[in-house]
Amino acid sequence: MRKRFLAVAFCALATQAAAEDAADKAKIEDGATTYENYCATCHGMELRNNTGVAFDLRRLHADEHPRFVNSVLHGKQAMPAWDGTLTTDQVEELWAYVRANANDAKK
Amino acid sequence: MRPLIAALLLGFALPATAMAQSVADLRNDAKTPGDVLTYGMGYNQQRFSPLKQINRKTVKHLVPAWSYSMASNYGEESQALVKDGVIYITSHDKTVAVDALTGKEIWKTTIEYPPETTKTVCCGIVNRGAALYEGRLYRTTLDTHVIALDMKTGKEVWNVKSSDTADGAAMTGAPIVANGVLVNGIAGAEFGVRGFLEGHDLETGKQLWRLYTVPGEGEKGSETWPNGGAKASGGSTWTTGSYDPDLDLVFWGIGNPAPWNPLDRKGDDLYTNSIIAFRPKTGEMVWHYQMSPNDPFDHDGVNALVQADLKIGGKVQKVVMQAGRNGFFYVLDRATGKLLAANNYVKVTWANGIDLKTGRPNWTIDMKSVIESASKISTWPSISGGTNWFPMSYSPLTGLAYVNTLDMGMEYQPLPIEQVQNLKTGQPHYGVKITNIYPESGNRGILKAIDPLSGKAKWQVPFKSANWAGTMATAGGLVFTGALTGEFMAFDSETGKMLWQFQTPSGIIGQPITWERNGKQYVTVTSGTGGVYVLKIPDANLAHVPPGGSLWTFKLMED
Ligand code: HEC
Repeated sequence: MRKRFLAVAFCALATQAAAEDAADKAKIEDGATTYENYCATCHGMELRNNTGVAFDLRRLHADEHPRFVNSVLHGKQAMPAWDGTLTTDQVEELWAYVRANANDAKK
Repeated sequence: MRPLIAALLLGFALPATAMAQSVADLRNDAKTPGDVLTYGMGYNQQRFSPLKQINRKTVKHLVPAWSYSMASNYGEESQALVKDGVIYITSHDKTVAVDALTGKEIWKTTIEYPPETTKTVCCGIVNRGAALYEGRLYRTTLDTHVIALDMKTGKEVWNVKSSDTADGAAMTGAPIVANGVLVNGIAGAEFGVRGFLEGHDLETGKQLWRLYTVPGEGEKGSETWPNGGAKASGGSTWTTGSYDPDLDLVFWGIGNPAPWNPLDRKGDDLYTNSIIAFRPKTGEMVWHYQMSPNDPFDHDGVNALVQADLKIGGKVQKVVMQAGRNGFFYVLDRATGKLLAANNYVKVTWANGIDLKTGRPNWTIDMKSVIESASKISTWPSISGGTNWFPMSYSPLTGLAYVNTLDMGMEYQPLPIEQVQNLKTGQPHYGVKITNIYPESGNRGILKAIDPLSGKAKWQVPFKSANWAGTMATAGGLVFTGALTGEFMAFDSETGKMLWQFQTPSGIIGQPITWERNGKQYVTVTSGTGGVYVLKIPDANLAHVPPGGSLWTFKLMED
């Protein structure tokens, strides 16, 4: 009995984790699409900064979320302000995408 | 011998008439290699030069004369122009005049546009060139200003605003001067722009006419869109047309419909993906020919439109031709728009040929399944096309068109119709899921010497990364072009053998030209990577190509 109970509990946990993983993955993928549509022109394909005209977004650390949101919404120098163009959700998806590919991300 | 004598005579005549550049000068541009006054090196845009001091034998002695920094990391796609010993070159943020023999800057006029401008620039922050006429340089800006500068000083003579970023619009193309009118196009089908061409008064900049490339509700052509054309959009005009002064017709390539997803715009969607001919004085459309009706693949009809006199069935015909984005090489009677030939010049799977009688493509089952049931398919060519904006050249000596072709396909599926039904102008107009398919050969680009009538290549040279630069042919038996890895190269126009190359500091996405001064021939091109391939298509081969714009001029080494 006990064994069975444990097994069931474990299964439930695993399913939940898998669901969260899938949600994260979807978020990152949506972020990648938004990135390609709006940001790649300057920040380079797949965040590679190969254009040399902008900031390397992979350098942002986990605790720089406020800076990211602020810069994206309000712009900075040659970087346009995206407030009104992007929804809050899209900005969060972009952040998920940027963090998933950050220099200090666990891979 | 003849062209040389003509060139010498003109060389003498020029100084006296230095500023009085006239209609005749524009008409003769292709035959007077002392200057390059037009986009395409002549109204016919053949990008062919009668010069032959630099030729198959001498090209090995080609060396840099000078280089000039464009002081920018954005891509350099612009074609240089040359007049009276001065080179004029544009970029997204400046216009520059440089001494053609020394490379020293004469003047520089910067352009400032609001940061928001770039929100509706899909494919690279670039400019492709200018037009010269009677002492003035004409160009467009990203934030859709059309401006005139004094060629001597760079001072602004006039400046008019055409559109709004909110309309999804941007301008990257070179204008042309035709029959006393400045003609320019617009970019932005990726953001739902309603495409147009417009004519401006050369003296004042006043807008003389606007020709919309997709109809308004109930207008002519609206029957080819659903709901009477209420939501017709796209049809941008972001490259530069060519002009036939004898027929007084301008030929211009019209871009893709918006959005890319075709489900909510069943019908032919005129005049997207078409070639149109119009009167430069009035903007009146005289004929049109549509290459890709109801296009789902961004097979933008804007590639270079080159005029030539071709022998067809024993008779010389005045044609205009295009290596189409959709993979077919089109040859049309340029007086009437009648289709004379259309053969694929790269791998094509969306159509089994073009019906010469009706001019329409014979759709494959794959293509039908996209339109009728939103199926997922693998198809060639990819959204980048069989070739793209970078212009081909044509040599009347070899009868061949020199085209940097692309060898890429894609997995493609339109997203559900609901996702594209309520798009607002200024938002991205895609609505498709695309994964590129790269060729097994590992070579994504092939420089081809194409017979216009059969589409077949006489020779071809493969490249790992697709070339994204224009080509130029010369009477010296050479074809020049550049690679994304920075090599500027010359090939034998008959065999494709590479005869010369020089490593520039960045990738080349520019348009080579050649000209002469004091009896010497020079070749000029920009280096400076960028453009949509570099920005949006992963390519490990380009990992070590730094950005940075520069302008280069080459000449034969002196003893
Ligand atoms: C027109 C070019 C351009 C586009 C498009 C663009 N950026 Fe930028 N971005 C820049 C430049 C240039 C900088 C550097 C600004 C500076 O510090 O001078 C920058 C900086 C940034 C920064 C760092 C700002 C800081 O706090 O230092 C972030 C974050 C950023 N961009 C995010 C984005 C995102 C997300 C997008 C797409 C929604 C985007 N950018 C689109 C040009 C661009």
